[in-house]
Amino acid sequence: MPKLTIDGIEVEVAPGTSVLQACEQLGIEVPRFCYHERLSVPANCRMCLVEVERSPKPVASCAMPAGEGMVVKTNTDTVHKARKGVMEFLLINHPLDCPICDQGGECDLQDQAVSYGYDRGRYEENKRAVKDKYMGPLIRTYMTRCIQCTRCIRFVDEIAGVPALGGLARGEHLEITPALEVGVNSEMSGNLVDVCPVGALTSKPYAFNARPWELRKTESIDVMDAVGSNIRVDARGGEVLRVLPRLHEDVNEEWISDKTRYAIDGLKRQRLDRPYVRGTDGKLKPATWAEAFAAIKTRLANVPGSKIAGIAGDLVDVESVVALKDLLTKLGSANLDCRQDGAQFDTSNRAGYIFNTGIAGIENADVVLLIGTNPRWEAPLVNARIRKTYLTGKLKKVAVVGQNFDLTYPTEFLGNSGSVLSALADGSHPFVETLKAAKNPLIILGAGALRRGDGLAVQAASRAIAENVGAVREDWNGFNVLHLAAGRVGALDAGFLPGPGGRDLAGILAGAQSGEIEAVYLLGADEIDGAKLGKAFVVYQGHHGDRGAHRADVILPGAAYTEKNATYVNTEGRVQHARFATFPLGEAREDWKILRALSTELGQALPYDTLAQLRQRLVQVNPVFATLDRLVPSVWGPFGQAGTIADAHFASPIENFYMTDPISRASQTMAQCTEAFLKPALPAAAAE
Amino acid sequence: MLENWAHLWDQLPLIVRIVASILVITVPLLIGMAMLTYFERKVMAAMQLRQGPALVGPWGLLQAFADGLKLLSKEVIIPAGANRVVFLAAPMLTFLLALVAWAVIPFGEGLVLADINVGVLYLFAISSLGVYGIIMAGWASNSKYAFLGGLRAAAQMVSYEVSIGLVIITVLLCVGSLNLSKIVEAQKSIWFFIPLFPMFIIFFISALAETNRAPFDLPEGESELSGGFNVEYSSMAFALFFLGEYINMILMSGMTSILFLGGWLPPLDIAPLNWIPGPLWFILKICFCLFCFIWVRATLPRYRYDQLMRLGWKVFLPFSLIWVVLTAGVLVYFDLLPK
Amino acid sequence: MALLDRTARGLFLVELVKGMALTFSYMFRPRATINYPYERGPTSPRFRGEHALRRYPNGEERCIACKLCEAICPALAITIEAEPREDGSRRTTRYDIDMTKCIYCGLCQEACPVDAIVEGPNLEFATETREELFYNKEKLLANGDRWEALIAANLAADAPYR
Repeated sequence: MPKLTIDGIEVEVAPGTSVLQACEQLGIEVPRFCYHERLSVPANCRMCLVEVERSPKPVASCAMPAGEGMVVKTNTDTVHKARKGVMEFLLINHPLDCPICDQGGECDLQDQAVSYGYDRGRYEENKRAVKDKYMGPLIRTYMTRCIQCTRCIRFVDEIAGVPALGGLARGEHLEITPALEVGVNSEMSGNLVDVCPVGALTSKPYAFNARPWELRKTESIDVMDAVGSNIRVDARGGEVLRVLPRLHEDVNEEWISDKTRYAIDGLKRQRLDRPYVRGTDGKLKPATWAEAFAAIKTRLANVPGSKIAGIAGDLVDVESVVALKDLLTKLGSANLDCRQDGAQFDTSNRAGYIFNTGIAGIENADVVLLIGTNPRWEAPLVNARIRKTYLTGKLKKVAVVGQNFDLTYPTEFLGNSGSVLSALADGSHPFVETLKAAKNPLIILGAGALRRGDGLAVQAASRAIAENVGAVREDWNGFNVLHLAAGRVGALDAGFLPGPGGRDLAGILAGAQSGEIEAVYLLGADEIDGAKLGKAFVVYQGHHGDRGAHRADVILPGAAYTEKNATYVNTEGRVQHARFATFPLGEAREDWKILRALSTELGQALPYDTLAQLRQRLVQVNPVFATLDRLVPSVWGPFGQAGTIADAHFASPIENFYMTDPISRASQTMAQCTEAFLKPALPAAAAE
Repeated sequence: MLENWAHLWDQLPLIVRIVASILVITVPLLIGMAMLTYFERKVMAAMQLRQGPALVGPWGLLQAFADGLKLLSKEVIIPAGANRVVFLAAPMLTFLLALVAWAVIPFGEGLVLADINVGVLYLFAISSLGVYGIIMAGWASNSKYAFLGGLRAAAQMVSYEVSIGLVIITVLLCVGSLNLSKIVEAQKSIWFFIPLFPMFIIFFISALAETNRAPFDLPEGESELSGGFNVEYSSMAFALFFLGEYINMILMSGMTSILFLGGWLPPLDIAPLNWIPGPLWFILKICFCLFCFIWVRATLPRYRYDQLMRLGWKVFLPFSLIWVVLTAGVLVYFDLLPK
Repeated sequence: MALLDRTARGLFLVELVKGMALTFSYMFRPRATINYPYERGPTSPRFRGEHALRRYPNGEERCIACKLCEAICPALAITIEAEPREDGSRRTTRYDIDMTKCIYCGLCQEACPVDAIVEGPNLEFATETREELFYNKEKLLANGDRWEALIAANLAADAPYR
């Protein structure tokens, strides 16, 4: 534990800490451009110079390990002079185009030029100009502004794992260049915009749209995947203009996926902004709320509860799920299911359907077994966490059962068929030994693997593996289910599942075909084939005119995730609150309020009038909803149902990373990404 | 030629003659009133080093007509809580009384519509009635400001009429007739403002108060009553008040000229001066008085209400009373009473 | 004696006469005001009148949608929306000034890095309706075209002092 003195204050730091980090521990700000705490240290910007006693020259603090007895000064004339010199050199080639630069107002260079810049330049030659590069439909480049900090190169190399960028030439002539002019093909490329300290890489869809000071910032939760990334929603007026990551070490660190960041333009297109009722001519007609409610009331008048069913979709919040469940229960229906993809698994034990280890827990794993999952697409941040662990060297091996994808780190392909899983479960597969030898083995069971008809058996087999190899101990639970939908775990926790004697999804669909189910309430359920609903009366409540709305007889416009205060539970079982950033479009309303109003109309008034009352009801339903942003360890117990696992291949549940839900399907940016990144690769995928 | 015209005139029916005479008086009066507003603005502007109206017509001469047109084209707003009949009657009454008084004003020798023997009494009565228009307006508007303005106007006009009455008595003592033409003729030797100078000043100041002019414009009191009794009035109703007030100003100036400045008489009955016709002298004297009205307005700030009352009751009343006694005493002692 | 003096002053209205004499004398002094629409006082090159958006001599609009004027406007009178133009340059799609909110402080022209928004020499832009005072980009650019000669001259005249 070296002890050093910084600006007269003595501080003891962990070995290997740099001087810059030591300064930060004391709250002393050291300016920097190239240094980024999650990236490697190149020490090429020289902005973080500090004075160290007995050193002839100022020292780059980011690369200087703290040593015993060091005396560091960060606030002397020499330091200021040195930093001012560095700043002047940086500004030699940096254009003075802040007024047209999107980074203006949130630019590191701009901010630091205030403290270390001269008010006029002494450089009279021509500035360097660099040709802009193509980095795909998400990132706009203006390479003349680049100050060659190489953060972007290090980000794609280390975090994204897609070595798409590199530097050509040296010194002043160094240019950041994509290897090929095909864009940065990574699910996390949007983070380059945040990483870049200047305006060289900016967001293309957000180009010139707004200034940071005009935006209303709301801290919220993302719903594009089941990770529940912490985000900041920046809105102006009634429009969400951009989404930025919010620091949460246990979930998303400071990154978010491109879908999270860029699918927001889908919030403006294909929205349902007023109720619709299907007329006698079979066409949907705009209606008022009263007319829509009246239509539902008339149709449900003589329908017994057992002939009504409810299906919850992927983006639903816990509040509306609980409200719908309460309403349908009052109507006498037990036909509920939140697994609109038809997945089958045992939900009796919470440990059986959540990501028990936690995303941060991945960093302790040394062997990972992926079953029927492609984390790179299903949860890019989980994948980034695995890659991070791999880079530290702690993670020895990653094995894959299922389709073999490029996951940005080396994997061992065990096979694609169900028999491999059976072999692993009964211990006959050689890989079981590796797992047993591992200290902290980790098993990730993908949602795709549960979608097959034999989901229960797959779940049981995975559990058997976990128990056999010692992945479930007092201090370690290595059994994980990686969900795809943000609303899924919340709905499972709320018990939106077939009640006693109730039908599950397959039962509801069969009933609808045969006429035994007369009415179906789709709460944001868009992944169901409309034809399978037969002649049932369909009420769709949601925010986008997607598949569910096409089939619906009555459409009730709800709010998207940026438009309501709502509870979401991520795949880890972490309860988080999304916050209201803009008003719902047009006549749309918050979802639980719609259900509350409908319940009065149907004569079955729900016993809560405010969000606070509803949240109390949530806690009644499941105490886990009271544990905000905290992981509650689940008690391990038996779950699953041993059975034969079909030999069929595990198929990826996601065909297109950029379009998985109504919002991203409506997004033009996501369509451009599909065009740019997936179309070229598609023939290859089709061949497989 | 002239005789032919006079002959023709005599042959016209009486009613036509009367109407024609009234028109001959009122039309120039109204035009004069219009010019008075222009004159007031110009003089005030000059005293305040400003330009004054200069855009409508040559030197802004038509400004008053433009203002009149504007007022005519506006909407008459009757407040919801107002008493409609009284509210609308008030401005008419004010305007009517202001015009009616002119029946007895002699513009020259024999040039008077109604040469009655109680002319002064008539004028006094009519100008006292003027306060009713204001009180009615103040009450019928059903507004605090208007009501206060009406109250102030009533108290103020009653107070100053007392001293006006006493001032007129001194003049009557010197003339021995209530006929206005006689009063003018009595000043052939000397205009009364010389022997009765203090009375002349008191009469002029009381005339200011009687016409609600600065510094006695408390019934309007823009700064505290935002317009006083006429705050609720708009369009023609307001215009009638405005007309009435300015015609009253001209009337009081006419009375001042008749009582103290020798009416239509020239200052000296000598060659170049008596070539000018009598009515012109009368108009010139009126103009001088009006100038003084405006001059005072441009000079003095508004009185406080208690100061106004003090001046009326504690200064003017005893002072004019003493002067009545004094004048009567002098007239009797030196046997100067008119026969 | 003093009593006599004061009484005499009161009785003969000396102060009143003095005051009247003073106002009367003012009648003959030269006017302090001018006959405005036909005569005008001098205006400073820094005069802050009606707003205008300027163009470069080649016809390209100067405004680059940096939104600094919008940010600095103390009356929140300016509203700007921007997006990339077809040629990729940064331009406004909307530039509104609510002239009824504007307090003519001139901070917008101080903030402008390209001298695009300026407060021109025009002060006669009264309108008959309130709506006409909500200026949009077209109106502001038209103002710029109309007043460019004067604006440029004023900026040149003021340049040595900045």
